[in-house]
Amino acid sequence: MLGYIFARQAGLDDPLRLRRAESTRRVLSLELNKDKDVERIHGSGISTLDIEPVEGRYMLSGGSDGVIVLYDLENCSGKPCYTCKAVCSVGRSHPDVHKFSVETVQWYPHDTGMFTSSSFDKTLKVWDTNTLQPADEFNFEGTVYSHHMSPVATKHCLIAVGTKSPKVQLCDLKSGSCSHILQGHKQEVLAVSWSPRYEYILATASADSKVKLWDVRRASACLITLDQHNGEKSKASSEAANTAHNGRVNGLCFTSDGLHLLTVGTDDRMRLWNSSSGENTLVNYGKVCNDSRKGLKFAVSHGCSPEFVFVPYSNTIAIYTIYSGDLITTLRGHYNSVDCCVFQPHFQELYSSGRDSNILVWVPSVREPEPDDASEKQCLNPAYEDAWSSSSDGEG
Amino acid sequence: MAAATTTTTTTLAGLVEALTTAGGPEPEPRAMKELKRRCKASPEEVGGAYRLLLGQLAAEHAEVRLGAFRVLEQLFCRSAAFRARAVADLPELLALTLATDLDRPLPPPAPAAQQLRAAALRALRDWHRRYGTAYPGLDLACRFLQRSQKVDFEDIGARTLVERRRNEDRQKRLDIIYKNKAQRAGKELEDMSPEIEAVLTEMENCFRLLLPDLFDFTVNDMETTAWRVAEGDQSAHSPAQVVGHPGPFLRQVEDEQPCCSRDLPSISCAPEGDDRDSGSETEADPGREGSLTSKLTSGCLGGDDDNDDAAFVRHHGLGSHKYTLNLEISTDVKLQENEDNMAIINTVTDAHKLIKNKFLPSVQSWIQVFTRAGISDDRLRRAIDLKTKLESALEKHKEMNIEYKEKTRKVTKASDDSSDDEEFVDVPAKEGYEPRIPDHLREEYGLDPLSPPETIGTKTAAKREPKQNEDELDPTCAAATWKIVHDKLPRAQPPNTRNSEFATSGEHNKKHEEEKSKAPIVPFGLDLFYWGQEQPTAGKILKVSSQHRFWAPNEMEEEVENKDVAGMLKSRCVTFAGTFEPVQHKCRAPMPSGGLCGRQDRVKCPFHGKIIPRDELGSPVNPEDREREAKKQFEQQEKQPEWQDPEFMREVEAATGVDLGSSRYTGKGGKNKGKKKKYPNLTDLKQQANTSRSRLEKKVFDKAAMKRVVKAMNRVDQRKHEKFANQFNYALN
Repeated sequence: MLGYIFARQAGLDDPLRLRRAESTRRVLSLELNKDKDVERIHGSGISTLDIEPVEGRYMLSGGSDGVIVLYDLENCSGKPCYTCKAVCSVGRSHPDVHKFSVETVQWYPHDTGMFTSSSFDKTLKVWDTNTLQPADEFNFEGTVYSHHMSPVATKHCLIAVGTKSPKVQLCDLKSGSCSHILQGHKQEVLAVSWSPRYEYILATASADSKVKLWDVRRASACLITLDQHNGEKSKASSEAANTAHNGRVNGLCFTSDGLHLLTVGTDDRMRLWNSSSGENTLVNYGKVCNDSRKGLKFAVSHGCSPEFVFVPYSNTIAIYTIYSGDLITTLRGHYNSVDCCVFQPHFQELYSSGRDSNILVWVPSVREPEPDDASEKQCLNPAYEDAWSSSSDGEG
Repeated sequence: MAAATTTTTTTLAGLVEALTTAGGPEPEPRAMKELKRRCKASPEEVGGAYRLLLGQLAAEHAEVRLGAFRVLEQLFCRSAAFRARAVADLPELLALTLATDLDRPLPPPAPAAQQLRAAALRALRDWHRRYGTAYPGLDLACRFLQRSQKVDFEDIGARTLVERRRNEDRQKRLDIIYKNKAQRAGKELEDMSPEIEAVLTEMENCFRLLLPDLFDFTVNDMETTAWRVAEGDQSAHSPAQVVGHPGPFLRQVEDEQPCCSRDLPSISCAPEGDDRDSGSETEADPGREGSLTSKLTSGCLGGDDDNDDAAFVRHHGLGSHKYTLNLEISTDVKLQENEDNMAIINTVTDAHKLIKNKFLPSVQSWIQVFTRAGISDDRLRRAIDLKTKLESALEKHKEMNIEYKEKTRKVTKASDDSSDDEEFVDVPAKEGYEPRIPDHLREEYGLDPLSPPETIGTKTAAKREPKQNEDELDPTCAAATWKIVHDKLPRAQPPNTRNSEFATSGEHNKKHEEEKSKAPIVPFGLDLFYWGQEQPTAGKILKVSSQHRFWAPNEMEEEVENKDVAGMLKSRCVTFAGTFEPVQHKCRAPMPSGGLCGRQDRVKCPFHGKIIPRDELGSPVNPEDREREAKKQFEQQEKQPEWQDPEFMREVEAATGVDLGSSRYTGKGGKNKGKKKKYPNLTDLKQQANTSRSRLEKKVFDKAAMKRVVKAMNRVDQRKHEKFANQFNYALN
């Protein structure tokens, strides 16, 4: 650490290197910490979380009872111990609350004045954050599993919506109507995600075990259908042709640079794809336990030197290195299936939520105090000390 | 235990295993100390101990889990590293100790599981209080338990949500079953209640017919009840008199009472001649009596107030006023069955039987079902009503005390009587015809020559015999013909000898007759019918020659004599089975337990073969038997070579983990030695699971047995199909 700082000061190193090294260290030491907690508002499972990308300060959570809560994550009190306060919420008594489970919430990528939420009550609502009133509402024929708004788009304002119908809908916020329909899937669309690199590229994952990449400018739309066998076996068996998984594909996530795409399916596998060629990179992550019937939200790290992916693994969260597929650690703490995890890149914090209605904050552990510093030892919590009895001392 | 610790302290695994499988209420202190010493010495040992303890916690035995958790609890309080690991694994720990996972209930035995749960909850509460600030995992766990498992930490004994849900499920299942039952019962109730009502009404009406109710007398018009009274009564009461009686039962009683008690007003005008003698008595104490009499007489005498007491006493011919009158009103009724009420009583009996055997049990079962299902609506009320009604009817029936006629006689003898009647009684007696009993027959019945036959035997014999004799004297009767035939036939025993016997001992004669009447009449073969007689046609088969005019077999023997048939007619086989002799000897073969076989088989013991004479030690008495036994033993030893000592092999197997087949011998040879139990202090789950039910299940649901049964049933089916194969509707399916 000191070496990195010195090198940075001397201008020997790229400034990025120190940052990468430190954030990597922090991610590797993620743990459940007493210092940071999230206020408990939700009474039922929480299926979605989103942190706004501008400041990384506010977080939205959507519960399976339709409640949406907005948290302030920043600790302004100056003390190490902090509980994230709920700033406001769309509770059950709110006139425009979602009737059924909120499946996805997302901030407007450029501003915290607006956010979107979609729910099993077949609606997508666009909210004004300051008044907490819906600015617009889109209705669909089937339950909405997922929606996404491009984080980099400057030329369009499209929200991709995956619903129970196999058609992917694109809603234009400018006109307030559905502008496109992307046809190609055969079953419900469980996850949609815009590429963080190219504003017109969209990836969708469906229960027909296919993952498709679309260019929304093209008339025939579909660019590539990802194939787990890279086209080798598909000639032999037309059944398995162009499938990304052997089960439902319910999770989709681009890496932060947008060059690769991660998918998870109910065949308990996670796959890494080259997003430009659509090639399966064949990284083996081992078994990634996944029995969710709906979409699964997982996150990738940002700004670490090997990048990490945080995937819900039934009751735990597994951390893998993206490109080598090594399991780094599993975070235990939830008492029921984890549905969602989001990564806060500025402070390297991980927020996870699940059906046990907890939002857990995984923060990097504090550095150990220097061993020669005797005065600091006393102010440590006595709970962290050993308590061997003197009698056993005498025995041993 | 001390020995165990000294031998196994060499490894941490041994130490942990010994601690967790000890089964005591607390971990063994010396081993615990040792474990603590090791854990303190190096943090690696802490990790190892934690892993081992977690492994033991996952054991399918609640006592092992409990032991492991107690050790874990102690280490948790001591080591920070251990705490960190435990808190990180808390979800798993909770699942193993509190059964928070619905799919993973705590293993048996149940009491230990309960203890484990209580201990885990207590420990968690403790930990949360002490270390909650440092470990957020503990906080989360407590909140999880409180919120989603609904655990109340104040009430440790309370059950978790999972358990509660399991109970609820069971309750729900039971509820559904009860509900279905209740529905069915309700339907039955609907169906049967008209029938029950009808029977009840019928019975009630019968009671009314048999014993008129007071209610009927007072309220109903007299005309309807009058005939009943007239019919039943010996003394002629007018309906008006009956009205005043306290109850219907009284009527018969009153008939027996002297008339003075009954009809005071009518006697009031009795002649005055006989009352003088009592006058002095009455006047002796006029003051006291006066009030009494006035009270007494005011009711019945009406306008006789001006008469003085003495006059009253005199009028009634009473000695004094001190008479006390006791009316004995017997409340228990006794109904005699007779010709008049037979039909009614039959109906009552039938109804009573029906109620007692059918309605009451079913009504009771309905009520039970309803109460169990928690139904308290109209149906239950109706069922209870029915029950009370039925019970009151039964009670009434009991009160009636109906005395039935001898039914049995009627049943058994009915056929005899009727046949007799048909045969003999139909003929009307001739006019002027005097039945005469011959002298010798008279003596046969043990009578004085002139007295009529009355006292012989039972009623049946008495009834039948004289009738026959009468008939025999009537020449138009078939019996008379029979008598002639009998007289002609040579008798084995001349009647006069019998007569002399009977004449000498009348008593004996009577007894003999009684026995004879009791003796059953059994069908007997032709051989006995013609006993001692030469049968010319015995064994001959007659063939009827063809009656056809043209068609006739050319030669045919018309009579064929068959020896077998002849023999059959002349001989009789009586099987003689002999008498049962209980077995006196025992097998007495030496058993592995040291005792002697106590089976008492006649020839062969199912375990030790043919039974041979043995001495007290169980060794055979005969030298050849002894030799044979020794040979057999030798052969058995031959089968199990010396080097395959079961004890040794078990040790080798335990060390290497390879099955060398030592279990083969334990079944036979080493049964009495018994396998040393691995953990003597733990409850043996296998032993618990070894119930009669499970053993039966093993046999009944055995695959081979099932297959056999299925095969047999298929065969039966197949046969049915074969039988009707040529019928199209069977052939089709």
